[in-house]
Amino acid sequence: MTTKVYFSTWRDEHINNIGKAEEDWTESAYNLPAQYDEHASSKAFIGWDGVALFDPDIDVVKLATEYAHQYQEYSEACGRCAPGRWGGRILYDLLDKIARGEGCIEDMDHLKEIGKSMQLTSKCEIGKTVPNPLLDLMTHFEDTFLECIESQKPSKHYHEEVDYIAKITAPCMDACPSHVDIPAYIEGVRDVRLDDALRATRQTMPLAHTCGRVCPHPCEDECRRSNLDESIAIMELKRLGADYETDHDLGFFHPGKGKKKKPNGKKVAVIGAGPAGLTTAYYLALEGVEVDVYEALPVLGGEVTVGVPEYRMPWGKYSEDIEAVKSLGVNFILNHAVTADEMREFETSYDATMIASGTRISKKVRCHNEREEIQGYWGAIDFLDWVNLYEKFDITTPKEVQEKQMLSTDHVDLTGKTVACVGGGFTSMDVVRCSVRAGAKRVVMFYRRDEKTIINNTTYEEYHEAVEEGVEFIFHSAVAKMNDEDNVLKSLDIDKFELVPDPNGGRAQLVKIDDASENIEFDYLIPAVSQAADLGFLPEEWEIAMTSWATIKTNGVDYMTSRKGIFAAGDCEYGPMTIVNAVGQAKRAASVISRYIHTDEITITDDEIMEDHLRKMKVYDKKEKITGWLPGVPRQRSEVLDVDIRKYNNEEVNFGFTKEQAQSEAERCMRCYYIAMVAK
Amino acid sequence: MINFSIDSKEVTANKGESILDVARREDIYIPTMCYLPKATANASCRMCSIEVEGSEGFVLSCNTPPVEGIKVITNSDALYHERQSIMKLYNVNHPLQCGVCDKSGECDLQNKTLEFGLDEQSFSVRDQARKKKKWGIHTYDPGLCILCEKCTTVCNETVGNEALFIKPGGYKSHIEINLANCIQCGECISVCPVGAMASTAFKYTSNAWELDKIPSSCAHCSSACSLNYESKDGKIYRVTNESDFASLCGAGRFGFDFDNKVLNKDKDAFDQAIDALSRAKNVVFNSFITNEEAYLLNKMKKKFGFNLVNEDARLYGEFMQNFATGSNESLYNATIDDIKTSEFILSVGCAIESDNPMIKFASSQAVKYKKAYVATIQPVHEHAISNVISQYINNEVGSEEAALAMIADTFVQDKESQQDFFDALDIGYLSGESNISEEELDLLLAKYKRKANPILIIGEDVINHPRAKNIALIAGYLQKTGLFKVLIVPPSTNTLGVSLLCELDKEEDGFSVGYNVASDFTLSAKGSGDLDIPALNQQEGTFVNIDKNLVVLNAGVSYNGYELNDIANALGIESQNIIDYTAKLGFKEIAFDDLDNYYDNVGKAYRGYKIASTKNRKKAILDEVAELAEFNGSVVYNRNPLRQFSIFTQDCEQIKERLELVGSEQFAIASKIKSGENVRFSIDGTLYERYFRVDKRMKGTVAYNPTFNEDKTTSNYRYNQVKLEVINE
Repeated sequence: MTTKVYFSTWRDEHINNIGKAEEDWTESAYNLPAQYDEHASSKAFIGWDGVALFDPDIDVVKLATEYAHQYQEYSEACGRCAPGRWGGRILYDLLDKIARGEGCIEDMDHLKEIGKSMQLTSKCEIGKTVPNPLLDLMTHFEDTFLECIESQKPSKHYHEEVDYIAKITAPCMDACPSHVDIPAYIEGVRDVRLDDALRATRQTMPLAHTCGRVCPHPCEDECRRSNLDESIAIMELKRLGADYETDHDLGFFHPGKGKKKKPNGKKVAVIGAGPAGLTTAYYLALEGVEVDVYEALPVLGGEVTVGVPEYRMPWGKYSEDIEAVKSLGVNFILNHAVTADEMREFETSYDATMIASGTRISKKVRCHNEREEIQGYWGAIDFLDWVNLYEKFDITTPKEVQEKQMLSTDHVDLTGKTVACVGGGFTSMDVVRCSVRAGAKRVVMFYRRDEKTIINNTTYEEYHEAVEEGVEFIFHSAVAKMNDEDNVLKSLDIDKFELVPDPNGGRAQLVKIDDASENIEFDYLIPAVSQAADLGFLPEEWEIAMTSWATIKTNGVDYMTSRKGIFAAGDCEYGPMTIVNAVGQAKRAASVISRYIHTDEITITDDEIMEDHLRKMKVYDKKEKITGWLPGVPRQRSEVLDVDIRKYNNEEVNFGFTKEQAQSEAERCMRCYYIAMVAK
Repeated sequence: MINFSIDSKEVTANKGESILDVARREDIYIPTMCYLPKATANASCRMCSIEVEGSEGFVLSCNTPPVEGIKVITNSDALYHERQSIMKLYNVNHPLQCGVCDKSGECDLQNKTLEFGLDEQSFSVRDQARKKKKWGIHTYDPGLCILCEKCTTVCNETVGNEALFIKPGGYKSHIEINLANCIQCGECISVCPVGAMASTAFKYTSNAWELDKIPSSCAHCSSACSLNYESKDGKIYRVTNESDFASLCGAGRFGFDFDNKVLNKDKDAFDQAIDALSRAKNVVFNSFITNEEAYLLNKMKKKFGFNLVNEDARLYGEFMQNFATGSNESLYNATIDDIKTSEFILSVGCAIESDNPMIKFASSQAVKYKKAYVATIQPVHEHAISNVISQYINNEVGSEEAALAMIADTFVQDKESQQDFFDALDIGYLSGESNISEEELDLLLAKYKRKANPILIIGEDVINHPRAKNIALIAGYLQKTGLFKVLIVPPSTNTLGVSLLCELDKEEDGFSVGYNVASDFTLSAKGSGDLDIPALNQQEGTFVNIDKNLVVLNAGVSYNGYELNDIANALGIESQNIIDYTAKLGFKEIAFDDLDNYYDNVGKAYRGYKIASTKNRKKAILDEVAELAEFNGSVVYNRNPLRQFSIFTQDCEQIKERLELVGSEQFAIASKIKSGENVRFSIDGTLYERYFRVDKRMKGTVAYNPTFNEDKTTSNYRYNQVKLEVINE
């Protein structure tokens, strides 16, 4: 979607339609927020990389003044370097002086001088970039500024009320589905104020131990430092604050003033105690809402507990994140799978209901003779449940599962067995690595595409560590048929494929190689291709709208389902996705619910509207050239447990950063805060 | 090791060094306003920006490590211009009343303003009212503050109290305080580059340039930190220090006015002193004494045969003898700096918060910079340092021997050399009696794994312990195993030095002469005895500090009366000056005037020299752990409040403390006393009268009993069961 603009210097463009009729205006190449929301359009957008005007009547002098003013307003993120602290103030004072009709010609020179110093020497990008659009406006609309000075009269709309909505962002914050204030928590590490670091994280992300370990960190793909050398190890730096809280008896570092609000008499039910459910509960409880969380499993934490293995996400750490939620007085009801009747009842006994039940049904491989009753055919979710319940809680595998899966003990012991897994995502990695640890003598992952894709889908570390531990990866392959004897799996027929490039330059096609198929003996086939949501507890007459993927449908903005007062977030809404995605959705939903329960209206805040606009525009610019930083300062890498030790136990593989490593890594962060502002 | 060049000079960086660090080491000047070498770079002033050939824009040198082969340029027209711009900004609305500012003459803002040739201000901003604050020993003037963040950084990192913080708000930004966290140490004052953070007492008393600066060592505790007495006309006005690299606690910085003001020599008293000494049965002293005077007392003892009595040093010396048997080394092997770089710190029987402030500072720095795991085994719960401590193990009073035995049992894998000792341990019983659970020890061991430079701190509590001998043997054994570096905290300033220099005896009945200890005839630096002698800030000499360094003491102010050396000369032990003995102490033959006392450009301390440890081949036999004595009812713990150590800190104007017994609500109830009552109790014949105060944050039934008013250190275990009696007046 592109936008017609009156004037734009956004990023690299120079659009000047001044004096032209609106129908002759040219379009900007960028997805600019010309339409603020469904009610209002924008007059202008001004930000770190330029300015775009949508309405010729805009008062550019006032716009510049307001932008400088926002820098003053939002300086909680800054005001911590000499150029930013004093320079920012001078920019505002001088611009306002001109705008109110009291400026002199020297003020323009001072503005340019101070602006240039700020660009060169400020501590963070906010100070470096605030002068950018101001200098743009002073250059392109010099006459307008000079007119104010010469006539000694206020700018044209100086005394009128205009809505200016500003938001602080950063490329990494924008890329993070939870929009975690990453530069702030990294600054906490660098300032050796780990309490502040954690408080910053918890503004939008309660699960700091967890997302300091098992997040696929999309933020790192949009880290500006990667334009210079390598991205910052954003994910790992999150652990420092969480570890500090856990290692000291100082209570919990909740965001803001650190205290929950007084109870406001409102109650919300949350279905599912996974990341989305925990997040909803956390932010609603902070707002003073009474929250009951219903969990079908005997343990808290959802798929991160029963799906993600101990060596990757130790329960001892995840449970600390959960403790933080508990500390707010959230009520958890375990071993309680809600029913349709209860859902109906919740509508009256609670002010809102959040469905965060995840996707707990393993999908099929879609091969011949794929039958549930074959012994050795074991869905990834069920397999990981029993592995993790035993490893983390000493909960043994029940008799019927033991019999079905030919286990000789009360837990998953695969000594001497051969395991085939089909997948390519995180779940399949967990399956194969758990199989190694359970003693399997051969573990094979079949994947239709190539190595590069599997790394893209997971992480380099995850793939590399699995290979080290002895997992065989067979790429460009698929299971064609399960062969059984009396319903006991014996072998698999495996088809091989090759990538045939499209002569027309399109996407390469996977084509089966004739006569290359082979038969391999296996004791187990564990499908980990994807998961589906189990939503049988939704009352049928509610006719909740679903997506084509059989997940709950919302607009992806406020997370209310087709039924009023019923919300959904996390995997059951989006389909199997990441923890950080679930947290991001649930955080937004909790914000919407916190207002809905009082007003009965679905609203999103200006901050959230701006957040969505910025994500559409994308804050990160891959092509930007970075100056003012020394390239080549290496990214820190944390030590991992030796492969010969970790293969045989469930101890955490990644030791995390030492404090020195964390400090060095934090000092690589360029603090790429930006201010974006819309004039409405 | 990274090779690169600065201004065409080929240089090499070590791991962890920034470009600025290397420049300073190589004597290449890069201007800074906010850089503090001992803490994390604040990166707020931007003055240290440099250029790198081939790289666009400026690079900050304070927090950027060099990259192989780069060519750094520290000065250019562009750099000068921007640095000048920054100085212009710093001067925007900065008051121009240097004439009435304390900092004038030693102000970084003044210096740099002149350096960058600024004599006018071309623009200004609308200023705002900024309120001055008084925070006890320090005052804050936000109008003068340049927000360099040095004060907040030292408060957070160096001291670890997190009292000062920045209240952000762009131009409105200023420093705020959480006064409950402030320990009034004055680190913030010492690092302030301008006059914003000032000493309340020093303010408006003297211009900086009028003061004589005398480098010396602090006399209050065994850290013997480096300091400068700054004096004029026979009066110490303030204490400063090399704040870029070193620290001081509140006692060191503000407890300087303990000099003994004596107008002239009292010949009569002097003659009596000579007589008293020549016929003394005992000479009693404490460890607030220089090596030279201790050495001299020992020399006199040899000549006159009196008992030389100092229970503090005698017990410490005995402890070290036993420790040496266990460790096969005459000295413990850790220093305060080792604590700073340790990732695992375990203390036993040490009041970390107050016994020796530098231990707390260093432990806190280990937490901040090394993510250290700090565990403490002590009967009281030191709530004020919970941001430092990861694991509190609150043992039963008196069970330190069991605690150390259980640590040995938990940590030592190869138990062969002390098999009998380990076989005899009944861990179940010890655990029950000491209240240290096996789970606590398992957690400790689990946390110890993968932690670099582990340290075991043995505190004062065990030196006077009834089972000190075996505790010392086990501690020595633990040092020998290499599982920990060990530090044994000397209880007083020069306890270690005295214990190495003197042959000490037990006191016997008869005529006693006291040296700063009230006796039949008393030599007193407090002016309260029969003959005046100089205080430690009026003497030249040396101490052996906790780091086993012999450090230099210079006189902050002069002294007009007689001193010990005069008496010795009269008694035929002749030496022109007391410091003539420095080279004869038996450590190193270095004359007093040849001892170093400075820091180099990158903060390496050159202070005296290290006392060498000697090896021995003694075979230690660890004794079976004794049955534990029970402590019931009201127990008091001899423990001084922060900033109080001795009779020499007692009357210092800025750090005065009331002699109050402080306990929990539980203690008050159990002892049937109320907050605000005066109570009386006795320990081993000594009667104590104390004001009692309840501290609601304290837990348990042990109260803190200050002893800084005692001139003689007790030879008792620091915990005592007492009978409290309310004084009704």
